[in-house]
Amino acid sequence: MDIKAKLQEVFRDVFDDGDIELRDNMTAADIEDWDSLAHIQLIVAAEKAFGVKFFTAEVSRLKNVGDFIALIENKL
Amino acid sequence: MDFPELFSLAKKFKKTEREYAETAELTPRKIAVLGSSGTQLLTELLRLFLYKEGISPDIYEGEYQSTYSEAMDDGSPLYAFRPDFLILLPHHTDIKVFPPLLCGRPEADEWVRNETEFFTALWEKLAAKLPKTKILEANFAVPPERELGNLEGSAHYGKSVLLQKLNLAMADRLPSAVTLIDVEYLAQNVGKGRWFSNKDYFLSKLGCAPDCLPALAAAFVSPIRFYSGRIRKCLALDLDNTLWGGVVGDDGASGIQLSPNHPVGEAYRAFQRYVKALAARGVILAVCSKNDLDTAREPFLTNPDMILKAEDIACFVANWEDKAGNLKQIAETLNIGVDSLVFFDDNPAERAIVRQFLPQVHVVNVPEDPADYAAALSAENPFDWPELTAEDLKRGLSYAAASRQREISRKFVDYDSYLRNLDMRGESGRLQKPDAERFAQLINKSNQFNLRTIRYTDAEILELISSPDAYPITVKLRDRFADYGLISCIILRKSHDTAFIDTWVMSCRVLKRGVENFAWGAVVAAAREMGCSRINGEYLPTKKNAMVACFLPELGFAATQSDENGTNYTLDLANARVKETFIMVDS
Repeated sequence: MDIKAKLQEVFRDVFDDGDIELRDNMTAADIEDWDSLAHIQLIVAAEKAFGVKFFTAEVSRLKNVGDFIALIENKL
Repeated sequence: MDFPELFSLAKKFKKTEREYAETAELTPRKIAVLGSSGTQLLTELLRLFLYKEGISPDIYEGEYQSTYSEAMDDGSPLYAFRPDFLILLPHHTDIKVFPPLLCGRPEADEWVRNETEFFTALWEKLAAKLPKTKILEANFAVPPERELGNLEGSAHYGKSVLLQKLNLAMADRLPSAVTLIDVEYLAQNVGKGRWFSNKDYFLSKLGCAPDCLPALAAAFVSPIRFYSGRIRKCLALDLDNTLWGGVVGDDGASGIQLSPNHPVGEAYRAFQRYVKALAARGVILAVCSKNDLDTAREPFLTNPDMILKAEDIACFVANWEDKAGNLKQIAETLNIGVDSLVFFDDNPAERAIVRQFLPQVHVVNVPEDPADYAAALSAENPFDWPELTAEDLKRGLSYAAASRQREISRKFVDYDSYLRNLDMRGESGRLQKPDAERFAQLINKSNQFNLRTIRYTDAEILELISSPDAYPITVKLRDRFADYGLISCIILRKSHDTAFIDTWVMSCRVLKRGVENFAWGAVVAAAREMGCSRINGEYLPTKKNAMVACFLPELGFAATQSDENGTNYTLDLANARVKETFIMVDS
C-alpha cells in the first residue's frame, strides 16, 4: 500500500469517517473534527502505523496533508 | 487497547453519548479537572472509562494552569459547578525554584515544608468551599533527567530527593477529603523513559506520553467508582490451570502442578500467595469451576502445596453449568451485586462468555504464562480501594465463616434454632470518633438496605458526633464464627419533639439475622433519650433498595404521604414495639 493510502486509513480511523479522501493541499480547515486533540492523535496513530518517530520541529511545521506524506516518506 | 484506538472509541462514543445516557442505568457524577498540563485528552478518556463503569460524568475542565487561581477566587466557575469529585493534576514544571546546590539540610527541609504547605492550604480552601467534594490529588512524577547524576538520588539538595520528599510529605498531611493518586508509581511502573515525552509536553503541554494517558485516567476512575458505591469486592477464580497446573479431574489432587521445586509449580504458588494477600486485605474469594464438586475441593483439603485453603473460599461453586449463571449464583449467595465481581479464568472462551452475558463483571485479561498472573491482576487493579478499614480486614474471614454457616443452616430444620445456635452478640450506641470513618464508609457503600441513600463525607460524620440535634447510632455484631464489626448505621435528627430517621443503612452480610429489629430497639431508646415523642421516617426508592420498601410499615409506622418520589411515615413513640431477637446485648 502506498503511503497516501495508508495515511488515509489512519485519518479514517481517527475521525471515524470512511469517506475521507486525502488531498495534498488538505488542511485542518477541511475536516470538521481536526482540532488540536485530533492532531495529537493523528501524530501518534501515524507513528504507530508507519513505525516511525517524528521530531518536535517536524510536527510543529506540518501545514497540510502533502507535508505529512513527504515527512513520512523521508522517515522510511 | 492502545491510545489511538481508545481515543477513536471515545470519539465514536461521544456521538451517541446523549442517547446512551438516557437508556442505561447510570449514576450521574460531576467531575472537575484542574491541571498544570493539558487535560483535554485525559478528560475524553475519563468520560469513556466512567461510562463503562456505569457512571455518567458531567465534566468541568478548568483553564490550563488555573488550579490556584480557580481555588482562590470565591466566585470561580469551579465553585459554582459544585463537583462531586475534583481532580488536581500538578506537574513537576510547576516548581520554579529549588534550594541551591550544597545548601544546608535545614534549608532543604524548609523548602519541602513550604511546598507542602502550598498544597495543604489549597486543600483546606477547597474543602471549606466544597464540603461534599472528594478531592483526588495527583502527586509528582519525578522526571528522569538528572543534573547531578546518581548523586541526585541521595544528596538532600538533589531535585529527585526533594520531589520524592515532597510526595511523601503530601501523603503525610492528607485531610480526609483528599485521596492521593500515586502518579509517581504509574510513571515508575511503565518506566520514566516511556511515561515522559518531552516532545508532547513542548507541542501540546501533555504531562505524560499519550500512550500513558489510559493508565492515568484509570487511576482516577478507581476512587470515583468506589465513592459512588460501585465497589469490586469479590474475586471469582477458576481452578485448573488458574490456581494450579493441570486438570485435577485427570491428574488427581496430588498430581496437579504445585511443586515448590518446579518453576511452573512456583508460578502457581506465587499467584496463590498474591490472592491470599488480597483476601487478607478484605477481598472475598470465590471459586467458579467446571468440575465435580468433590474433585474440585480435594486439593484444598489434602494437597499440602496449596497455599489457599478451603476456609479462604467464601463461596465454592463447581459444576458443569455455564459460568455466567454460576457467577450470578455466587453473587446471590454472598449477597453482593454482580457488579462487585472480578472473574479470573485462564480459558479465553469462558472469559468471552462472561463478558458477553455479564458485562458488569470485571473480567481480567489473563496472560498465557502463570508467572505473569499476579502482575496482570495487579495491573488491572480492580480492588483499588482508596481506603482500608479494620472491617475490611475482617471481611474475608466473616464471609468465609458465613459460608460455613450456610452449611450449618441446612442442618437445622427451623430457622429459630439456627439463629439461636449462632450465639449472636450485638452492641449499639451513639457513634464514637474511632468508628467515624467506618460509619461514613458503610453509609456510602450501602445500596440495598438503605432507606434514603443520602451520602456523607467523613467531615460531616465527625460533625454529627458533637451535634446536639443529631443522634448517630452504631450497631455492631459478632457471633461464634466471626466478628462483623460495625454493620448498621442510623442517623436521627431532632426537630421539636420529633426524631426523623435521616439515614438507616445495614450491611447485607447480616440480613435475616434480626439485626434490623435489634437496631430498632436502639432507635427507640435514642429517640426517648433525645426527649422525643414521635418518630418520622421516609423511604426514597432507588433501583437497588427495594428490599426496604416495606421496612418502616413492618416496624409499625403509618404512611402519611406518598408519591413516586417516596413515602413519608410516622409513629407515636408510645406505640413503638420492639420485636424479640436472638441477639444478646454485648457489654
